[in-house]
Amino acid sequence: MLRERKETVPPAGKPAVPGTRPMVEETEIEMEALQLAAQMIMENGGETFRAEETVRRMGQGFGLRQVESFAVPSGLFISYRTAEGKLETSIKRVHHRSTNLTTVDAVNQISRETAAGALRPEKALSRLQGVSALRERGRGPMPMGAAALCAGGFAFLFQGGWREALLSAAIAALVQGVSLLLTMIGDPGIATNILGGLLTAMLSSLVAGWIPGLLTEAVVAGALMPLVPGLAMTNAVQDTLRGDMVSGLSHGASALLTACLIAGGALLAPPLLRLMSGGGL
Amino acid sequence: MEAFSEALRYLAGSFFGTVGFAMLARVPRRAWLASGVIASLVYLVYWQLPWMGISEYLAVFCGSFLGSILGHLCARRMRIINTVYLMSAIVPVVPGLGLYRMMASLGQGQMSQGASQGVQAMIIIAMTALGLVMGSFLDRLIHDKNGKGGTP
Repeated sequence: MLRERKETVPPAGKPAVPGTRPMVEETEIEMEALQLAAQMIMENGGETFRAEETVRRMGQGFGLRQVESFAVPSGLFISYRTAEGKLETSIKRVHHRSTNLTTVDAVNQISRETAAGALRPEKALSRLQGVSALRERGRGPMPMGAAALCAGGFAFLFQGGWREALLSAAIAALVQGVSLLLTMIGDPGIATNILGGLLTAMLSSLVAGWIPGLLTEAVVAGALMPLVPGLAMTNAVQDTLRGDMVSGLSHGASALLTACLIAGGALLAPPLLRLMSGGGL
Repeated sequence: MEAFSEALRYLAGSFFGTVGFAMLARVPRRAWLASGVIASLVYLVYWQLPWMGISEYLAVFCGSFLGSILGHLCARRMRIINTVYLMSAIVPVVPGLGLYRMMASLGQGQMSQGASQGVQAMIIIAMTALGLVMGSFLDRLIHDKNGKGGTP
């Protein structure tokens, strides 16, 4: 939609009709800011109702009228009426999805300031672009440490002791490292879940064979916890509660699918180990 | 002394486990501490209520409900998106061990046992969601009287 409008506009900001104001660039900035805000929320694990609310509030903060948006987990529509009464509409597909709640929170903060009238469209867009650029930076080994902390903590909850917690932490860190490596090579998609479950169960079974008296189930269950789709479950509940059944069901199905893939991977481990060891394990 | 040590282990486990989970989800740093505290309180409720004769399912509901209320409260106070705290509220009651036992039973061909464990885990998940929904509903009832939605 934006590209099409650009072609109809005279170059260098000259108005088509002498004496009229070239409005296109202004509204393009507003639309771009709204699109980027909603897209960043949805790409980083935010709920669809949050994306819709953000568009509505930011749009009103920009002084636009009849701001409407419709979002589903795979894309969004934005529509509003400009001060001149022209109806603008756009579609944005959301292809990439990851989890970064710091980005969602930062966009939310920009949305609040815009809604309060503290940010002009240009400034809001520039700040959103700044947040987006920050998001692209790598995180180094932090996810491995986080996975280790998560797995170790939950191993205690699953009746494990220090030994189980440390082993669980080491396995979760290793699995997270493999997942990061796969992400660096390409987009592994759902393969990460299957591989995560498989590796966790295989490593735990191998370690259990070497250490007598180890509470294997605490090690495996703890190490699987970082893979649990906790955010998708929360989003499913939040979206359903707001009456957005399509997004609620979509997030619920995503959580269920992820859990099934992790479980499937973990179920593959015992027969694979038996096959590799010739029935010894 | 043993009970104290067990309590400490569970509280620390739920705190650090949830903070680790929050770090993986790239939750803002200023929310880490509150996330961990909410998780510990949720687990405390889930762990202690069955000792008072309350069923495990109801204990999960109560824990999740408390977590939801506290999560919304913290989100308003600290002006952080509520998803951060709601996620932390449900993570400690996720039936990880129950799901693992179900998988292990199914993997060994013990279908009946696996199905029973699976159903138990599903009920716990449903109770968790119900607690979260009821807490959010109550929050909206109190803070969203104009029907326009709270701060996104």
